[in-house]
Amino acid sequence: MLFMKTKFLIIILLIFNINLSANENIGIDTKIFKNLRCLVCQGQTIAESNSDFAQTIKIVVRDKISQGSNEKEIYEFLSEKYGEWIVYKPKFNYINSLLWISPYIVLILGGYLIFKYFRKRRQ
Amino acid sequence: MLSNTGNILLIGSIVSTFLIIYFTYQSLKERSFQIKKNIIYWSFLQITFVIASFLLLIFAFVFSDFSLLAVYQNSHTAKPLFYKISGVWGNHEGSMLLWINIMVLFSYLFFVFNNKTNSAFSLYTLVVQNILILGFLIFLIFDSNPFFKILPTPIEGLGLNPILQDPALAIHPPLLYLGFVGSSIYFSAAVAAILSNSNGKNFALSIKKWVLISWSFQSLGIIVGSIWAYYELGWGGFWFWDPVENASLIPWFCMTALAHSVLVLEKRNYLYNWVLILSLITFISSVTGTFLVRSGILNSVHTFANDPSRGLYILIFLSLMIFSSFIIFFKRRINDQFNLNAISKETFILGNNWFMMFYLATVFVGTIYPIFTQVLYNTNISVGPPFYNQVIAPILIPFLIFMAVGPKIGWVKSKFITYKPFFIIIVLSLLINFLISYFLKSYNLISNLIVISSLFLILHSLKDFITNVKSNSYLNLASFFSHLGFGILILFIVLNHNFSEEFDLNIKVGQTKKIGNMEIKFNNLKIENRENYNAVIGDFNIQDFQRNYLKKLNPEIRVYENPQTLTFESAINSNLKQDIYLTMSNIDGSDFYNIKFQVKPFMLWIWLAAFLTASGGLVRVFLKK
Repeated sequence: MLFMKTKFLIIILLIFNINLSANENIGIDTKIFKNLRCLVCQGQTIAESNSDFAQTIKIVVRDKISQGSNEKEIYEFLSEKYGEWIVYKPKFNYINSLLWISPYIVLILGGYLIFKYFRKRRQ
Repeated sequence: MLSNTGNILLIGSIVSTFLIIYFTYQSLKERSFQIKKNIIYWSFLQITFVIASFLLLIFAFVFSDFSLLAVYQNSHTAKPLFYKISGVWGNHEGSMLLWINIMVLFSYLFFVFNNKTNSAFSLYTLVVQNILILGFLIFLIFDSNPFFKILPTPIEGLGLNPILQDPALAIHPPLLYLGFVGSSIYFSAAVAAILSNSNGKNFALSIKKWVLISWSFQSLGIIVGSIWAYYELGWGGFWFWDPVENASLIPWFCMTALAHSVLVLEKRNYLYNWVLILSLITFISSVTGTFLVRSGILNSVHTFANDPSRGLYILIFLSLMIFSSFIIFFKRRINDQFNLNAISKETFILGNNWFMMFYLATVFVGTIYPIFTQVLYNTNISVGPPFYNQVIAPILIPFLIFMAVGPKIGWVKSKFITYKPFFIIIVLSLLINFLISYFLKSYNLISNLIVISSLFLILHSLKDFITNVKSNSYLNLASFFSHLGFGILILFIVLNHNFSEEFDLNIKVGQTKKIGNMEIKFNNLKIENRENYNAVIGDFNIQDFQRNYLKKLNPEIRVYENPQTLTFESAINSNLKQDIYLTMSNIDGSDFYNIKFQVKPFMLWIWLAAFLTASGGLVRVFLKK
C-alpha cells in the first residue's frame, strides 16, 4: 500500500510538472482567426471563410503580429474598428457580466439545493 | 389536381383531429373514461390522412409537379431522385408536414400501447396531444401550406440549395424530428398525468420508452448533422456552437436529464414534480429552438423563408403552450416527498441532472444573450466557441467521474466497499495520460484533467462490464454503451482539439510548398461535367517525410446552375489514426488558389464513440430481456 501511495505521488508530480501552460500546435495567427467572426458570412469564423473580407482580416492580423502586437491587443484593435460583434469571446464587462456569471449561479444553486436536502435529512 | 387532393387530405386530417378532441372530451366529461369505438376509428383515419398527405407530397417532388409552389421553389427535374425525395423536408412547408406526421405517429402509437392499462390517463394524453396537433395543422394549412398552387404552372423548378444535396443531410432532419418532435408525446403525457391524478410510477413507465427513443434519435440527428458540417462546410470542424446546434442541444440536455430521473420515479416513486417539469420543458425548448431558428431571429443556415407572420403565429402558440401547461402544473401540484440516502443511485442521478441543468443554462444563456444585449444596450456581441469551451470544459471533469461511479451504485442505500480497484483505475488513467502527453505532445492543465477523467470513465465502465460478465449478474448494456461511448467521445475530442494541425496558404498549379515536415504539390486542375453541376477538380500530392507517406487528394469546387451556387468540397483521407483534410477555393482575379490543409487525429473514433453513445437508448428499448 505504501508503495502504491508513493507511485501515485510520483505520477501526480510528473504530470503537473510537465506542462502547466497551453501549448498550441496551430500558429498564433490561426488561433486568432478562429476567434473572429467573418462579418459578411453566415456564422463563419475568419479561419473558415473564403470571403474577401476574411482575406483582408487575415492580412491585418498577420501584419499586427509581425509588428509585435499580442493576441489581446489585436482583439481590442479589431473590436474598436468593427464593433464587439467581431470577437467570439465576449469581454467580461458590465453588460456581459450576466452571461459569464449566470451558468455558475445555476451550478451553485443546484448544488446548494441538493446539499441542503441531505443536511436536513441528517438532522 | 394534386394540390386539391393534398388540400382535401389536410382538411381530412384537421377534421379527424377535431373529432378526436371532441369525442375524447365527451368521454372525459362523462367521467366514464371509456375508450369509445369512434375515438379509435378517428385516430386511425387521422394517421391515414396525415401519412397520405405526406406520401402525396413525396410523389409531387419525385415527379416534379411544379404546379405546387413548394416543389417549384425547391426542386428541379435534373436533380437526382434521392435529393428530389429529401427536398420534401428541405424546406419550411414540407418540414412542417413531416413535423405533424411525427406528432401524429407518436400520438397514435402511445395511445395504442397505453389505452388498455390506464384509460383516463391515455384519454387525457390523446386530447392534449391532439390540441397541439390541431395548432400545428392550422399553422400548416393557413400559413405554410405545402400544397399551395401556382398558376400558370412553371416548366422548370428553381432547384434545391446544393449544400443540402447530400446523403447525410437528407436523413438529418427526419432523425432530429423523431427526437425533438417526438418529445411532444411526453409533454402531453405530463399534462395528462397531472389532470388525471395519475400515479408517478405508472407515468414513468408509460413515458420511459418514448424518452429513450426520442433521446437516441435526437443524438443521431445531431451526430449526422455534425458529420455533414465536417465534410461539407469545408471548415474542418464539426461543432461550431452555432445557434442552430445549440437549439438542438438544449432539448438534448433535457432529454438526457429526463432519461435518468425517470428511472428514479419508476423505481422509487420520487422526484415526480421534477420529472413533470423536465417533460414539459423538453418539448417547450424544442419549439422555442425551432421558433428562434426558423424566424431568423438567430441567423443560421436553417432560416428558410423569413416571414414575420409565421414567427408571430409560433410565438403565440408557444406562449399559450407554456402558460397553460405551467398553470396546470402549479394549480394541481403533486405533493411528492422523497427520502434519499447520500450514497445511492438516486443521488448520482440527481447529480447527472444537476450537471445537465448547468450545461443547459450555459448554452441557453450563450444563445440568447446576444438578443438581450441588442435590445437593452444596442450592442451586438458574438458568443462563440471560446466562451463555451471555457465555461463547460472544467465542469466536464467532475461530471465524467460521477458518470463512472454512478452506474455501479445500488438503489436505496449503498456503500463504497471497493477502494482498491478505484485507486488502481485512477493510477492507470494518470499513467496513460502521462504516456500520451510524454510521447505525443503535451497539453494544458484542463486538457490533462479531462483526459484523466475520461480515461477513468472508460476504464471504470470496462471494469464493471468485465466483473458483471464474470459473476453473471445483471448487466445494464444500455448504460454501459452510452457511458463508455461518452468517455471515448470526450477523450478523442480533447486529443483531437490539442493535436490538430492547420495550415492556410495560397498556391498555383504546378507549385510545391513546404510546411514543416510536409510537402504539398499542386499537380493539375481539370474540369468535369457531372449530373447537375460542373466540377473543378484539383489534384494534390501530400507527402510527409517524417511519417513517410504520400497521399493523393482531390478537393473540388462545384458550380451549380440551379440555383447558381458555388460549393467547396473537401477531400478527406481517413483512417483510424487521423484524417487528412484538404479544401481549395478560387481567389478572384488571380491564378492562385487558397487551400486549407489540416491533419486531424482520431476523427473516426469521435464518430464511432458518438454512435455508440446514441445506441444506448435504442438498446434499452429494443433489446430488453
